[in-house]
Amino acid sequence: MTDVAGAKDNTLGTFGRYAGPATLILSSLADGPKHGYALTKDVEAFAGVRLAPGTLYEALSRLEGQGLIEALDSDDRRRPYRLTAAGAGALKAHLNDQRRVADVGLRRLATGWGAS
Amino acid sequence: MIGGAERRAARLLRWYPPTWRARYGDEFTELLLAEFAERPRSWRRAGDVARGGLLARLTGAGLTGHELEPSEQVRAGLATAVCSLAAFLAFGIAMWAQLTVGWEWAAPSATATRVGMVAMSAAALLLTVLVVLAVLPLAVAAAGGIVRGRARHLHGPLLLAVAGAVVLAVGSHHFQNAWPGTGGHSWAQQGLVPGGVAAFSWAATLSVSSYWAHPAALAAFPAAEVAWMVVSPLALVALVVGVAGTIRRLDWSPRLLRYEAWLVSAAAVGMTVFLAGGCCWVLAEGSRPGLFHAGAIDVVSLAVMMLALFVARRATGRAWKSVQGAH
Repeated sequence: MTDVAGAKDNTLGTFGRYAGPATLILSSLADGPKHGYALTKDVEAFAGVRLAPGTLYEALSRLEGQGLIEALDSDDRRRPYRLTAAGAGALKAHLNDQRRVADVGLRRLATGWGAS
Repeated sequence: MIGGAERRAARLLRWYPPTWRARYGDEFTELLLAEFAERPRSWRRAGDVARGGLLARLTGAGLTGHELEPSEQVRAGLATAVCSLAAFLAFGIAMWAQLTVGWEWAAPSATATRVGMVAMSAAALLLTVLVVLAVLPLAVAAAGGIVRGRARHLHGPLLLAVAGAVVLAVGSHHFQNAWPGTGGHSWAQQGLVPGGVAAFSWAATLSVSSYWAHPAALAAFPAAEVAWMVVSPLALVALVVGVAGTIRRLDWSPRLLRYEAWLVSAAAVGMTVFLAGGCCWVLAEGSRPGLFHAGAIDVVSLAVMMLALFVARRATGRAWKSVQGAH
């Protein structure tokens, strides 16, 4: 399966322990370009996770290296990043995978444990 | 206040390699300043930056899962493998030279020690041949670039490598005369390798010694010998840094890349055999007194060699993975 932009489904899977931060960053950039600090605050607001600077930039450099995000020109030292078409495709595929897993887990919980 | 925060950010930024700082330094500093304003002190944050910086350095050395551009990944892997091999040989040859000195006086009685030493000697020979085979085309490529006037960027690392090699060779040749196996003893020259080779190896690796932990005994050494124990590792570092720098900066042909990657893979096999021989000796002799006594320095050397082998294999594996995609 390939997404609309041609990114392979498992692109984010190759990020290992950085798949989590990478997903959060791509999700944050999905509604527009942001620089490092704005990304940190946005991720903290929607996911309750504070990305530490070293972790954030490790993930950013990997995402940029894979062509999933790109840096924009800036007049000051805070350089914003935006999602590329390949990044949007990879994020969509990854979130769909996660949703499938979540759906299965919730369905089995509802059957076996009576939870909803 | 701002000046202090800038200085703190600059200190934290030093964890990262120069190439990373050139690309991300400004924006990362801005992020750190914003973080400082919100939370002035955080050990967790400092630890995260340190870990990120070390990871970026490992990535630059071609040792992480974060792939570089293919030809850069191969060059990084080869340079790292060369550094690992140098560390391996520094400790391994020091150990081997000590044993061959012993064999000049009497052959070891334990079969396992004899087998171990023969394995180490064969592996050392293989590694020497591989190093020569690796250096020759590199030297030709570098010389070609210099002759054509297109290798100004190679002058620095080449000069460093040649200076280190000359100091190491001349100094080792000079100090090999103090080798305990020389002096015309009737038992001399009955060893596993020619006495001159053992003597040169002993002198070149004189700095790998447990005497550093015994300053009183070290003080009894001739001043020139102690000076050599300080200078020789510096010369080795200069040689290795120069070679690694040349590897990183040289314009490689895909064919040469594959050839060097193959040699480095073969070197990893030689290192494994050498290490197995060393383990064989240490296990056979233990702390038994005598010419082939294994001390704490030898156990430490084996540990360093194991680590160097692990790093070399990892770097080589990643270089191989990228070699097909290079250029």
